[in-house]
Amino acid sequence: MEQYLGIMLSVLGAALAAGWAGAGSAIGVGIAGESGAGVMTEDPGKFGLVLLLQALPGTQGIYGLMTAFLVLLKVGLLGGSPLAVGIWQGLGICFACLPVAIAEYFSAIAQGKTSAACIQMIAKRPEETGKAVILPAMVETYAVLALLTSIILLNSIKL
Amino acid sequence: MAVAELKKLDLYVHKSVCDDVLGVLQKVGCCEIISRTDDASREAPVMNERLQQIDGQISDIRFLLRFLEPHYKDPVSSLDRSLGERPIFSMEELEKLSAGTNVGDIAARMHSLESRLMAVRSEVSQNIGQLDLLKKFLDFPYPMEFLSCGTERVRGISGTLPVASLQGWKNAVESRLGKDTEIFVARVDEKDPDVWVTLLYAKEREPEAFEISSKYSLSRVEIPRNMTQNASDEIAVLKKRQDALAAEDAFIVRKVGEEAEKMVPAIRSLSDYYSSLRKRFEALDDSIVTEQTIALQAWVPVKAVDFLKRELLPFRDSIEMVLADPGEGDLPPTLLQNAKAALPYETLTKLYGVPLYGELDPTPLLAPFFFIYFGMCLGDAGYALVMIAGLLYFLRKYKRMPSSVKQFMHLILGAAVSTLIYGALTGSWFGDLVDSVGFLSFLKPIKNLFFVIDPMQKPMTILGIALTFGVVHLGFGLFIAFYDCLRKKDYMAAFCDKGAWITMLSGLLFLLGGAAGALPSVFSPIGKWMAIIGAVTVFLYQGRGKTGIMSKFFSGVLAVYGSTSYLGDVLSYSRLLALGLASAAVGVIINMLGKLSSGIPYVGWFVAILVVLVGHTFGLAVNVLGAFVHSLRLQYVEFFSKFYSGGGKFFSPLTYSSQYVDVTETSANS
Repeated sequence: MEQYLGIMLSVLGAALAAGWAGAGSAIGVGIAGESGAGVMTEDPGKFGLVLLLQALPGTQGIYGLMTAFLVLLKVGLLGGSPLAVGIWQGLGICFACLPVAIAEYFSAIAQGKTSAACIQMIAKRPEETGKAVILPAMVETYAVLALLTSIILLNSIKL
Repeated sequence: MAVAELKKLDLYVHKSVCDDVLGVLQKVGCCEIISRTDDASREAPVMNERLQQIDGQISDIRFLLRFLEPHYKDPVSSLDRSLGERPIFSMEELEKLSAGTNVGDIAARMHSLESRLMAVRSEVSQNIGQLDLLKKFLDFPYPMEFLSCGTERVRGISGTLPVASLQGWKNAVESRLGKDTEIFVARVDEKDPDVWVTLLYAKEREPEAFEISSKYSLSRVEIPRNMTQNASDEIAVLKKRQDALAAEDAFIVRKVGEEAEKMVPAIRSLSDYYSSLRKRFEALDDSIVTEQTIALQAWVPVKAVDFLKRELLPFRDSIEMVLADPGEGDLPPTLLQNAKAALPYETLTKLYGVPLYGELDPTPLLAPFFFIYFGMCLGDAGYALVMIAGLLYFLRKYKRMPSSVKQFMHLILGAAVSTLIYGALTGSWFGDLVDSVGFLSFLKPIKNLFFVIDPMQKPMTILGIALTFGVVHLGFGLFIAFYDCLRKKDYMAAFCDKGAWITMLSGLLFLLGGAAGALPSVFSPIGKWMAIIGAVTVFLYQGRGKTGIMSKFFSGVLAVYGSTSYLGDVLSYSRLLALGLASAAVGVIINMLGKLSSGIPYVGWFVAILVVLVGHTFGLAVNVLGAFVHSLRLQYVEFFSKFYSGGGKFFSPLTYSSQYVDVTETSANS
């Protein structure tokens, strides 16, 4: 029983990371896409720029996926036999996933809103694309920091 | 200094050579005309009718391109064209072309073709509507005449009626109008809530028929008066007409296609020609025009002055040039001048906004950092190889691409080289492709040759490196600010503001380093005193402008508290580690998915190759975007905030416009 609980807690962590981050990205990309569709009804030629800005909140989902994979790799669920993971270790891995699960979800939504606003901006001022890309990237900082925290925490748990 | 020095040129030109001189100015392409439209001394624009004439031509050309281009099969793709694959013309050739082409006539001809096409198409859609209507009357045994205009004795109405009120309507008609009517009801469709009905009645009973019908909410459909025969006959006539119209449509489209084939290239060239002329006369419009002379004002880079003088030599008897330094109230534009190695990075400066005239150009300062950061963020040698190959292909294929595109490609090429180096050092070649795919294991010695550190295993080491870069970068930014203040002879700000910050922050660093044992312990007390002196200076300097002891105190404290922002700034550089890890990890994940899918029986190898190819393409795109944006952000937000504010206007000289063709004899502004 005990050895399964450790592994399953790790799986819970991986699932939370990938699930919440993916959900956040989906919402964020969706918000940006709605705005982009509005702009493209006026000027379909802006597709490239709009797509670029719409893609920005998508990275959180990737970070979540990445964290999940790192966890699965760590406990040996991917290729090879599962390692023995104690309850406390499993709980630690689960907690280590929380920064990604929480910060990626909310930051993706916030970034989606910023992207949507920036899409509106390039509708009027296409020459300011450089600045329009930077503003959503400001939000992403915190997604990157959360990812970093999760990676470091995962790394520090010895199995 | 990397912002080019400009001279203000006052050019007085006699009217007789005005056009030629403007032509030369446009040809050399190194003069930005200063607009004097708000100048009080300006007289009524004399040349405006020429501008109007050109505007007329341009609007004709716009119409022609809008109308003809959809029918034109372009032998050069728009990507090729935007990368510089454009026909080359000299201004004389374009002049000849414009003399031999009467744009107005062509536009008139195309207008008539267009209106014919519109007429045909609107008739076609009208006929489709009539055909739909007539189909409802196929069961109607009488000529349509009864319904459209009525005969001497009989009239009829037709329309839709809600199924629910059908029976009521029928009863009402029979009881009120009796024998003088005849009712036709089309087959009731179960899904349709309405039914199509037709009612014939004696002419004199019309008011009653209308009254009953409107009571049962029959919505009447007007039958066009030209329909007189039986429905099937009318349909036959209309179908014949439709065929004729379709043939005419095809004929016109073919004709337009032929015209487009013949004329679009010429029209496009003329579009550029007239836009160029327009710019030229706009310059005139921006200048002061008197009876005999034109007074132009322009900004000219100092380096181009001799060249310009040489070009204007033939007109020396009819012009007068006065060169002066920018004065007090002037707002000169900014022209960046950089060595070849830093040139690609100008793109980044322009993206943020160029410096004001006379300010520092940050281009060479940010270049090395951007180069390194991009490499660390992307950090995969395999991706770098793909990028380098792609970029080299484009750079070799398109020799004549516009300089801005070329600069950008060189920028990314440099970044890819940096990525190659960092990826090789960290042993990341398409993630862990070399290790995970059996038959690639012969590449392992090459990989191991360059391999130094694996960020996955030792993230803290890379984090330390990233944060060190942050400290260096921020410190460099502060030093630039310090130097900039010295350059402007603002010694107070240099020493009490920037210098104090540098003292305080490096003191804190020494203190930290000493405490952590990274530096000899003698640094600790030195650091302590440096930090204290710096903090006190910042405290005093920031408070000096305020009145009242309390506000002095608080603004000073607030300023010292601002040092925490440096902590945030430094930590922000941890993204170099995180993004590098992310691209490496995504690569590993893709390889693993490929490996897993190779276990599928029979088609496994194919699926695996597909997964790896598609996955790495996706990974490359996402990570390049991320690496670009984040290494740029470190420049804009962390680095620039220390010393740079942009706000300049980019130098935009009078040149030819070249949307479709390249006009030669334009010397690049030097």
